[in-house]
Amino acid sequence: MEITFGVLLWSVRIAFLLLVYVFLFRSFASLQRSLASERTQARALGTLVVERSPAKTPRVGERLSLRATNAIGRDAGNDIAIPDEAASARHAVLEQRDEEWWIEDLGSTNGTLVNGVKIEKRERVRFGDEIAIGRVALRLER
Amino acid sequence: MTLLLRRGSELRLLVWVAAIALTGFVAVAAAETTAFDRSQVLVPVLFVSMVVLLHAFLAARGLRGDQILLPMAACLTAIGLVLVQRLASSLLANQLSWTVIAAGAFIATILIPRDLTALARFKWSWALLGVALLVSPLLPVIGREINGARIWIGLGRVTFEPWEAVKIVMVVFFAAYLEEYREVIANTRRFGPLPIPPLPYLVPILAMWGFAMIVVIFEKDLGAAVLFLGIFLAMLYMATGESFYTLIGLALLLVGGFVVYHAFGHVQVRVDTWLRPFSEDMRFGAGYQIVQGLFALANGGLFGAGLGNGMPDRIPIVWSDFVFNAFAEETGFAGALALLALYLLFVYRGMLIALRAPTPFLQLLAAGLSFIVALQTLVIVGGNARLIPLTGVTLPFVAYGGSSLVTNWMLVGLLMRVSDLTARARGTE
Repeated sequence: MEITFGVLLWSVRIAFLLLVYVFLFRSFASLQRSLASERTQARALGTLVVERSPAKTPRVGERLSLRATNAIGRDAGNDIAIPDEAASARHAVLEQRDEEWWIEDLGSTNGTLVNGVKIEKRERVRFGDEIAIGRVALRLER
Repeated sequence: MTLLLRRGSELRLLVWVAAIALTGFVAVAAAETTAFDRSQVLVPVLFVSMVVLLHAFLAARGLRGDQILLPMAACLTAIGLVLVQRLASSLLANQLSWTVIAAGAFIATILIPRDLTALARFKWSWALLGVALLVSPLLPVIGREINGARIWIGLGRVTFEPWEAVKIVMVVFFAAYLEEYREVIANTRRFGPLPIPPLPYLVPILAMWGFAMIVVIFEKDLGAAVLFLGIFLAMLYMATGESFYTLIGLALLLVGGFVVYHAFGHVQVRVDTWLRPFSEDMRFGAGYQIVQGLFALANGGLFGAGLGNGMPDRIPIVWSDFVFNAFAEETGFAGALALLALYLLFVYRGMLIALRAPTPFLQLLAAGLSFIVALQTLVIVGGNARLIPLTGVTLPFVAYGGSSLVTNWMLVGLLMRVSDLTARARGTE
């Protein structure tokens, strides 16, 4: 009786250690899975192609993938950071609503241009249109 | 129903947490009574049902984003409860009630405020709250002195360590402040390779940090001082990307350490017990705790003595200062490694949340909160293993103590909300 108890006790002790490891690996696997599915779910809804850029970043010809909402501006915290002096820290927001793209100027100093025309507040953007922010020009593509 | 299934991975992980809690309690309790008893199952069952309720709450609320933080926090808390039962079973009821309070605080953090970014608008209130919390132990009536450190406030029998909460308040304040002034702070003029810090803009955070340092030194709380310095520098570095600040910080730490060592007796004792705990005058005096801790680590070996089978009660105050050694003795190097890996995964998850967060405030908030857990674990485990001088920092989630548990669960709540906002902004689960 005492031996069985001892054996049981040891198996519980070993089981505890094993379970902690199983939990660790399960958690890690779960994290990896969620990151992978995030990647497929968050596939680009559109692309901005850099047409003109005075500096090295963003590079001319670079393709920036878009999500549903994209903050654009000079600050590094933006989804699309444009380190150009003529751009405001938080310059504009480009977002997709009901399959349509809209750009909104966030009160930037030098304004936002769509196809060379300065926008008032919000403006519809179609594929092929050119958006100018500071000295950088970007074309919306599928 | 689909709403409830959305957090399926979380629920599946909680099954493993339940198994860990159950085996842990059975192993510990059976070693004490040399028999299996139904009452040993009661505590883990209560704990696990509480965590499952938390999960159901999150699912019903439709919280998106992260699904591993809750199971991991629950796993660490379960290990903590097992160790309290093992090391100081008379305190178990106490710790269990704190766990319930922590769960309440977690729910409150998920619900309030409605809009998480609103936290940034009240940054000066946060600064004020931080100051008030820091000073509170020094006030008459509510201030308490326990084991020579006046870092507690108490109401009746309940005592709380306010600086635990100050950590979070400070991170919120720094994140809000740095989001607003990041541009000016990051755009430093340079003197050769050295950036000239824009001092006027740094004054509020420097003042906040300096005040915290003075208070914790006054209250003889060495661990808190190290943590505050670390949080301050890490957030400044993360906001500006200026590695120069970390170098200044290292210099500050060395200079400050030197000054503090010569100015305060209790710091000298800490350093001396770290450098030569085995010497004649230390072995059974000031160095006793750390020496016993080291013996416990050595006794653990590769796979440990078995949960409930070691001799960790030979370390004084083992349940709050030396839980890591107790765990390492009974589960060995293998168990200690798993525990550290759990923290690593927790911090990794937190930093991933920070990287994906939609606004600078949320990024800095999540990164700062994860950094607290990382630094705190490093400082206490380093102290336990005699890698650095021992300081009175708690091992997050695991060590006995209510204030630490409550604030850590609030921290988890905040991280999960940042993750939720990110998932909503990106339109992912």
